[in-house]
Amino acid sequence: MGRFAFVLRRPLQLIPVIIGISLITFLLLQLTPGDPVRIMLGPRASAEAISAVRERYGLDQLVIVQYGYYVFNAVQGDLGKSLAFRTPVSDVIAQRIAPTIYVLGYGLALSLLLTLLLAVPAARAHGRFTDQLVRLICVTAVGIPSYWIGLMLIMFLSLRFKVFPVSGFGPSAIANLWHMFLPALTIALAVTPILTRNLRATLVGQLSADYATAGRSKGLPESYVFWRHVFPNSLLPTLNLAGIIVSFLIGGTVIVESVFNIPGLGQLMVRSVLTRDYFTVQGVTLVLAMGVVLTTFVVDVLTVILDPRVKL
Amino acid sequence: MRRRTFLQSVAGVSALTASPFVAGQAMAASGNVLRMGMGAEVLTLDPIKTVYGPDIIAQGIMFSRLQRANADRSQVTPGLAESTEISEDGLTYTFHLADAQFSDGSPITAEDVAFSYTRMRFQKDSAYVAPFDALAEAKAVDAKTVVMTLSRRFTPFLTLTEIWNSGIVPKADVEKKGDEEFARNPVSSGAFRLVEWRQGDRVILEKNPNYYRSGLPHLDGIELIYVPDDNTRMSMIQAGELDMMLSVPAPRVQELIDLGFRAQPELSSVTNCLLINHSAEPFSDLKVRQAVSIAIDRAAIAQTVTSGFAQPASSVMSPALDFFNKTLSVPARDVQKAKSILTEAGKAGLTFDLMIAAGIVDDERAAVLIQSQCAEAGITVNIAKVDSTQAWNRLVEGEYQATLNWWYNETRDPDSALRWAVCGSCGNQSYFTRFNDERVNQLIELAAAETDAAKRQASYAELQQITYDQVAYIPLYYPPYFNAYSPRVKDLILNPHYQFSFMDETSLS
Repeated sequence: MGRFAFVLRRPLQLIPVIIGISLITFLLLQLTPGDPVRIMLGPRASAEAISAVRERYGLDQLVIVQYGYYVFNAVQGDLGKSLAFRTPVSDVIAQRIAPTIYVLGYGLALSLLLTLLLAVPAARAHGRFTDQLVRLICVTAVGIPSYWIGLMLIMFLSLRFKVFPVSGFGPSAIANLWHMFLPALTIALAVTPILTRNLRATLVGQLSADYATAGRSKGLPESYVFWRHVFPNSLLPTLNLAGIIVSFLIGGTVIVESVFNIPGLGQLMVRSVLTRDYFTVQGVTLVLAMGVVLTTFVVDVLTVILDPRVKL
Repeated sequence: MRRRTFLQSVAGVSALTASPFVAGQAMAASGNVLRMGMGAEVLTLDPIKTVYGPDIIAQGIMFSRLQRANADRSQVTPGLAESTEISEDGLTYTFHLADAQFSDGSPITAEDVAFSYTRMRFQKDSAYVAPFDALAEAKAVDAKTVVMTLSRRFTPFLTLTEIWNSGIVPKADVEKKGDEEFARNPVSSGAFRLVEWRQGDRVILEKNPNYYRSGLPHLDGIELIYVPDDNTRMSMIQAGELDMMLSVPAPRVQELIDLGFRAQPELSSVTNCLLINHSAEPFSDLKVRQAVSIAIDRAAIAQTVTSGFAQPASSVMSPALDFFNKTLSVPARDVQKAKSILTEAGKAGLTFDLMIAAGIVDDERAAVLIQSQCAEAGITVNIAKVDSTQAWNRLVEGEYQATLNWWYNETRDPDSALRWAVCGSCGNQSYFTRFNDERVNQLIELAAAETDAAKRQASYAELQQITYDQVAYIPLYYPPYFNAYSPRVKDLILNPHYQFSFMDETSLS
């Protein structure tokens, strides 16, 4: 248990993070010009309608009072009401979180798979043709913008060769393996080169480490040295990098969601910011922040599991 | 990880992702359900709460009104009100209701109609009360008769009882659920009723078995699907995942036509305009307004922005509306004359700010054209790209000199259009331009109270002439709608007033 004691301390560290994020987001939104009620009601709304709705949502009160109410309610689980949908923010987020998690998870799984498929042969064939090929693939893929990749995949695999549907979210989890394949592939194509380069470099470095040399000189077969010793020792840096990438992806699925029409948090966030849907932006930001904290936590736990020497 | 386990898991995942190939190919058309792709999403299903495009389309499909319209709204005929009597003085309307039921089977009574109208007219957060300003009271006199009393004679009233926000809602349901729950899950009176609303994704409607027009609708259901990206919508309709889409980018219209879709532009009542602020320099000066009006090239702007599908504008209102003044001509571009007008007025070297909302590509294109066209007349235009929310706020507050915008009307009758666009005393200051002409305000009221069509024609003709001479604002072009329908969709169009009034009669082949 000693090594895992940090698990207990983590939730305490969460609190200042959440407070800080919610306060900053709240203030930034309030300072931004633009009236959400006017947008919501549309151009021909009368002045009375607008002020009636503003009053109903408490938008005519002092900023500090509004924040006070917000925190008071949030602590009890009420994240406020979406100004656009007039439904509780928690409901709005709950409806959209599943597609985002699915596409992220699927994209990550594909990325990890592709990374292993590319980095391992490249490292073991260090300097030779396979290695050069993999490095070329990585450089090319990193340079292509994900929006373009997404559109090209749709054009060829959905329209020209009708293999996959265009729109992202299907009726069931199994159907989604197919519906979400293209969006997941788009994410994977963006993320894989980064992870591959990192893993490959670490593997190459570890292949000439002294314990590997010792193993070989003891007569162990190369594949045994690689899979039993070198590979596990090379995972940590890539794991940490993957954690950081997932943190980026958590807020960054908006492009993929937009191109493939996935009703997820990314789209919700963009829409809410543009229409000044204050409470929804707050809510989504909090959820994304918690996602990042959770990711870091998972990476830390995995690190401790993989490397007994680490003390967190 | 053991090599064998590793290889096994690779095999497993590949099998999973490969099975779709085996399972076969994608989305076939789903029977008799119409799938419509929209670029913006539905936010509320309560007809009185908003004027926002996707919402009013959904509400127009879900709630019946006292009158109904044909496909292009050229005829407004009895709907829920099978007959109507109007008193001599034009102040009392008596509606006799047909036998009809709500989607849950309960009868549509006069109480419900009175409730719906009272709520729409008097509830504080009702979003679009202006056209019904003359309505003083709506009362049920028996189970099937409603009497509405106006505060003044108002000829457009009857046609207004067809517009979407006069949709009849069930009193019991609204009172039981409260406005907010009702807006999410209403019992409705129209051809289609709500099955499920997946927010951010789609509104799923099904045929209402209790619809008052027997034998209709032909469709089993409709899905209003939110697809924000234009390219994705185009891909989806081409792949057969949508039966129709709204807002085709103008340059890609021909592409869809060539592929066999019905994508010919549809008549709309939209007018795209350059709004100008009369309450401040420089547009408080008539000469400046006139000069700018003839410095720009409306035909070139229409050509560029709408790939030639729009018509350059003459009058402040669209030719799709009744009483359009055909004698007005599109102001001819005359750079020399513009320069000389300005020099005479002592305004040579004029500069003004053109505010546009960021992210609207068409506005950006139009603004750049206006800038270069004005430059030829010695007028410097500074384009200020502003966040759309802020742009709207500044328009309303009058903190702008010129900006681009558009509007449309709900009826062929131009009354509410002109009240909105050029009436200085009607509450929104002539679409926030602060144009205020006594005679124009007077003409609007005169024409609204007049029953003789020829006299209304004369009033509206004079009104349009004044707004033309005074340059109330600078109308640019009258664009059509750009929608696309698969050949399976029969005869459905978006009528000039942004409603699918044929939705209860359309079918899929």
